[in-house]
Amino acid sequence: MGQAEPAAGPPRAAGPLSDIADPGLAAAGLARIGWAERAMPVLGRIRAGFEAEQPFAGLTVAACLHVTAETGALVNVLRAGGALVHLAASNPLSTQDDVAAALAACPGGTVSARSGADRKTYYEHIHRALDCAPALVIDDGCDLVTTLHAERPELLAGVLGGCESTMTGVTRLRRMAAAGALAFPMAAANASETRRMLDNRFGTGQSAIDGVIRATNTLLAGKVVVVAGFGSAGTGIAERARGLGSRVIVTETDPVRALDAVLQGYLVLPMAAAAPLGEVFITATGSRAVIAPAHLAVMRDGAILANAGHFDVEIDVPGLGELAVAVHPEVRPHADEYVLTDGRRLILLAEGRVVNLVAAEGHPAAVMDLSFAAQALVLAWLAHDHAGLAPGVHDVPAAIDAKIASLMLASLGTEIDELTVAQRDYLDSWRYGC
Amino acid sequence: MSAEILPFKVADLSLAEFGRKEIRLAEHEMPGLMAVRAEYADAQPLRGARITGSLHMTVQTAVLIETLTAIGAQVRWASCNIFSTQDHAAAAVAVGPDGTPEDPKGIPVFAWKGETLDEYWWCTEQALTWPAGDGPSMLLDDGGDATLLVHKGAEYERAGAVPSAADGDSDEWRVVLGVLRRSLSAHPAKWTAIAAQVRGVTEETTTGVHRLYEMASAGTLQFPAINVNDSVTKSKFDNKYGCRHSLVDGINRATDVLIGGKVAVVCGYGDVGKGCAESLRGQRARVIVTEIDPICALQAAMDGFQVATLEDVVSSADIFVSATGNFHIITAGQMSRMKHQAIVGNIGHFDNEIDMAGLAAVPGISKISIKPQVDEWVFADGHSVIVLSEGRLLNLGNATGHPSFVMSNSFTNQVMAQVELFTRTQAYPLGVHTLPKHLDEKVARLHLDALGVRLTRLTREQADYIGVPVDGPYKPDHYRY
Repeated sequence: MGQAEPAAGPPRAAGPLSDIADPGLAAAGLARIGWAERAMPVLGRIRAGFEAEQPFAGLTVAACLHVTAETGALVNVLRAGGALVHLAASNPLSTQDDVAAALAACPGGTVSARSGADRKTYYEHIHRALDCAPALVIDDGCDLVTTLHAERPELLAGVLGGCESTMTGVTRLRRMAAAGALAFPMAAANASETRRMLDNRFGTGQSAIDGVIRATNTLLAGKVVVVAGFGSAGTGIAERARGLGSRVIVTETDPVRALDAVLQGYLVLPMAAAAPLGEVFITATGSRAVIAPAHLAVMRDGAILANAGHFDVEIDVPGLGELAVAVHPEVRPHADEYVLTDGRRLILLAEGRVVNLVAAEGHPAAVMDLSFAAQALVLAWLAHDHAGLAPGVHDVPAAIDAKIASLMLASLGTEIDELTVAQRDYLDSWRYGC
Repeated sequence: MSAEILPFKVADLSLAEFGRKEIRLAEHEMPGLMAVRAEYADAQPLRGARITGSLHMTVQTAVLIETLTAIGAQVRWASCNIFSTQDHAAAAVAVGPDGTPEDPKGIPVFAWKGETLDEYWWCTEQALTWPAGDGPSMLLDDGGDATLLVHKGAEYERAGAVPSAADGDSDEWRVVLGVLRRSLSAHPAKWTAIAAQVRGVTEETTTGVHRLYEMASAGTLQFPAINVNDSVTKSKFDNKYGCRHSLVDGINRATDVLIGGKVAVVCGYGDVGKGCAESLRGQRARVIVTEIDPICALQAAMDGFQVATLEDVVSSADIFVSATGNFHIITAGQMSRMKHQAIVGNIGHFDNEIDMAGLAAVPGISKISIKPQVDEWVFADGHSVIVLSEGRLLNLGNATGHPSFVMSNSFTNQVMAQVELFTRTQAYPLGVHTLPKHLDEKVARLHLDALGVRLTRLTREQADYIGVPVDGPYKPDHYRY
């Protein structure tokens, strides 16, 4: 898959060429994408349908996503459905250069992504993806959509719609929509029930812990782990830390989520009270400065700081830098040691960026399978039904959610009951009481 | 008490039908005992054995008793606790599966709920006194009271006199001395003869085992003993899995508070404490452990529990459970500093882990009985604590103790031990023994089918590679499960 000869694929898009680190890595990238595709049976089933139906025939897609093997599989599915996909990296630290090379080497669009790219290059890459004048957009954090609106307004009229992968991005989109600034329909692909379940709770839950362990090799049993935020991701992180024998403290701002945490047996504290107790801190709030200098100032020697939220603002890294009298970068890969005035050392993982992608490998492919399956189906829905959708943020239709879940259950070999006609009548009717 | 020998004495024979129904349900949940009945139906290894049992006269014990008789034994029985008899179970055992209340055909059982101490020791004596002047050939003991009566009786017969009670002796000890004094004057060689006849005792619990080891080291033990308590399939089940089941059951029945979200303190992280902490965590309480042993404390920390001193958390926790086997664990002063309506209970064997006498002596305190085994103690300032089962074992007082499946493991060990001691007496010289590991493994094996467990069998090559027989035993004696 994804290895078709250039002559056999759709014609190359006019416009910019790819900007990648090393075209010579293409073979390794293809193998890596192939491995991921094997673990993404739902996307594979969707691809088979797209190849027949060609839902994106003649359409151009600008995508801003983590350039990983799983994203490569999504790009291949969209290309198989007839799309030209121009891909930019949504995070310079998460780019897998071999995957970028592999996607750039195949027909059906370009790739602009280099691991470790600086901030300027990052936005240049987004512009390169937009240069194709997309009909559809896929975003991960909303940087592509905001850049499109703020700096490339001439392209807005050509956009039919798009989808956003992250909670952080959807929050920005809702603010845009509320301000009347959003020019086309965007589907909140992350808000689907399947996505929230698999991606945030199970995917981030597992991979954030994986990132902390890979970066530090610390034993989590017996440790006090502070999880900031008890949304889906925080819930998953807290469950897994508990499973590994940690004593978990949760911080929250939402009383409903906080009550849920308490009733699940977690100690819930304000961060100011948790800061001197914690040995590992993992933020998953979508907010900013959740760990602020006042918290950092009272932490225990050796405390580990990691962020599993999308942006690198949940831990106040500049504030940490100002508190520190010395910084020892890379005491282990992805672990920087900040020395405070009294000699205490705080270990910041992944520079405060999303630890599960930087220090581990992001979500397991099976989770990304579900997430990208939603994006593929949502994008096909937008391509087909965009005319009926107003500009603004739209939820994933329940039918798409059900289809994804059914495809995943089938891939897991799980069978479920179907409602009988009598049961459906009973559920649908207001006449029956008991 | 009358010197007449009664066929049995229970509270109310009309309860027999109810008891029989519960016994029938319990039999299904006690697959080990039922498997033993089937295995030994023809061999009847206990034929000729006269077993005196002193063990809580419950529905589960009824299944044990009828297992012993099914494989050949004659049995006489008393309970080992004044409160623990289930009267319907006692009635059903007295009536027997083939009898009626009008024509009882069961075994001689002397037990009812709420015995006085005098009645309790009379019952024990009756269970040890067989018709035609015989004594038991085997003892089955829980806590060691039957063993104690035989040993002390024989000791005083050798001395020719029963000593007077000393100042500071407990009421119960005075009762024991009274029983033996009367016996000495009526039958001066009775206990000596019994001690000589008994081939051995199988002991159920920690407390009784402790007494046996003390007697063995003092050179006063009169017959061999098997320590059933320390079989893995007994101690793990009773202590860990049994308490894991019945602790939360007891708290719920007593108070019906939502446990999720509460802070629960478990004092002690031995097998009982581990089971308690796990069950409370399973309800999503936030569990804090207190310990004095650094190894157990480290285990608790590695299992993700906060380990604190009781002083640290006494004023912030909602539920307190003592499970230490020690005494003076939760003091009256600490209870006075607990949150309003904090719940305090004990699951350790004795009722001295919580200082109830000290609580009652707090100036200005008053006790409101909410319902049986649930008391609210109101301090002078108006705040209160809720004490379960007056500080006695709350899983027995507020719930129904261990479930049948757990007791099936314990009691299958008891039957194995009885068969071993009775049929292979010469293999067990004077002293305290544990059951050989292959029998421990057999008890476990007998419970696997009921749970749908499919066991993997070692190949010959695998067995040779790790140096064990294909059919076990699989572990060295020092292995910690």
